[in-house]
Amino acid sequence: MTAVDERTEPLNGPAAPSIAVRMEGVNKWFGTFQALNGIDLTVKRGEKIVVCGPSGSGKSTLIRCINQLEAIQAGKIVVDDIELGTGGKNVHRVRREVGMVFQSFNLFPHMTVLENCILAPTKVRGIAKAEAIATARKYLARVHIPEQADKYPAQLSGGQQQRVAIARALCMNPKIMLFDEPTSALDPEMVQEVLDTMIDLAEEGMTMVCVTHEMGFARRVADRVVFMDRGEIVEIAPPEEFFEHPHHERARVFLGQIQRTHKPADPATPTI
Amino acid sequence: MIRAFGWNEVLFIVMALRWTLALSAIAFVGGGIGGLAVALARTSSITWLRLITTGFIRLFQGTPLLMQLFLVYFGMSILGLGIDPWTAAAAALSLHAAAFLAEIWRGCIEAIPPGQTEAATALGLPWGTRMRYVILPQATKIAVAPTVGFLVQLVKGTSLAAIIGFTELTRSGQIINNATFQPFLVFSLVAGLYFVICWPLSFLATRLERRLARATAR
Repeated sequence: MTAVDERTEPLNGPAAPSIAVRMEGVNKWFGTFQALNGIDLTVKRGEKIVVCGPSGSGKSTLIRCINQLEAIQAGKIVVDDIELGTGGKNVHRVRREVGMVFQSFNLFPHMTVLENCILAPTKVRGIAKAEAIATARKYLARVHIPEQADKYPAQLSGGQQQRVAIARALCMNPKIMLFDEPTSALDPEMVQEVLDTMIDLAEEGMTMVCVTHEMGFARRVADRVVFMDRGEIVEIAPPEEFFEHPHHERARVFLGQIQRTHKPADPATPTI
Repeated sequence: MIRAFGWNEVLFIVMALRWTLALSAIAFVGGGIGGLAVALARTSSITWLRLITTGFIRLFQGTPLLMQLFLVYFGMSILGLGIDPWTAAAAALSLHAAAFLAEIWRGCIEAIPPGQTEAATALGLPWGTRMRYVILPQATKIAVAPTVGFLVQLVKGTSLAAIIGFTELTRSGQIINNATFQPFLVFSLVAGLYFVICWPLSFLATRLERRLARATAR
């Protein structure tokens, strides 16, 4: 037996590697535009990372490279000890272990909530339908919408749809969850219910990489904040340090702009 | 001697309708299977598949159906497959339908928001599963109305098979006209029979389109 890592959480077996994601010298171009420039980032198992930065800074591209929704042109990404290079090998193995939640929910509109949740477990993992349904109901209960299982996505509010999307990803029993601005498309009154779901998930020990501008969420949940600008990681720091004493000028400018629009009611308490 | 245009002649023409319908059905099924394959290849990420199928579609959309019938008909005899109007008409019309249906269906597949493919991909669904359970069920809904609309074109297109000696509705009209010399009566009847088939289809297509417009209205 390997030694049990002190960071290992109940979600991960004792034999699981302590590094969830390792990116080394990752470069990504869209045509002549370089979206990612020399990205080095290691996410430990159970760690919660918040990625922020101005729009167009490459933060969405960064997490989309982790499950290879975007191919990379140079560098190396290792996810759960599975190596992804530039060739697209092992992609399917990685995607099974990585759940993703999108800004625009992307639920399958022609399927009920329950069908959305059991599609991948039955077709990709080969789990029996009855078992998949039981798992789906468990996760729908965990995101507090067990009663919506037989509805279609269009019958739900934005917040409910996003919670279904989270449940759908969890049904694959992923080791890592990626969130791509999960609250940006929501009406303000629905942001909290989705953030609460994410906080629950974080407290259960899930490894999470979240692109978000919800700085209250970052302060409360993140182990480290990654600040990106122009395709580069400019600063990585624990949230208190990043928010109180950002080292780089670009981070200071960005935080100034964010705080103007997301002014906390009381600076002493996180705004979540 | 000129034959009179009586009930027997009318019956002869009406009975030929079944060959028009049979040819339409074969071309639609053949075109549907081929069209789906071409549409999937046309929307794939594999470059050479996309190029070949784009060429196929351009070729069949850019040449008259009559020439396609001639080329398949005479091409078959050059290849030593013998001259058989049935096979030639069925093959030519199937290829023709495949090209047009592929282009219609490509549009429907591409109309599905990319987020659907991304979500399915992120869940680990491989291409086939993604298409079968996520993309095609949604694309089918959009495709029904234009597909029925194309079916009308296809039914009318079968009349060209008369030229290569396939005895369907139009050819039977020509045969009767040659004997009776009543072109206006004969071809009015022939046209009327096409209308009886095509009008309900057009009507259906319009209704389906309206229903889809209501369903997708935001």
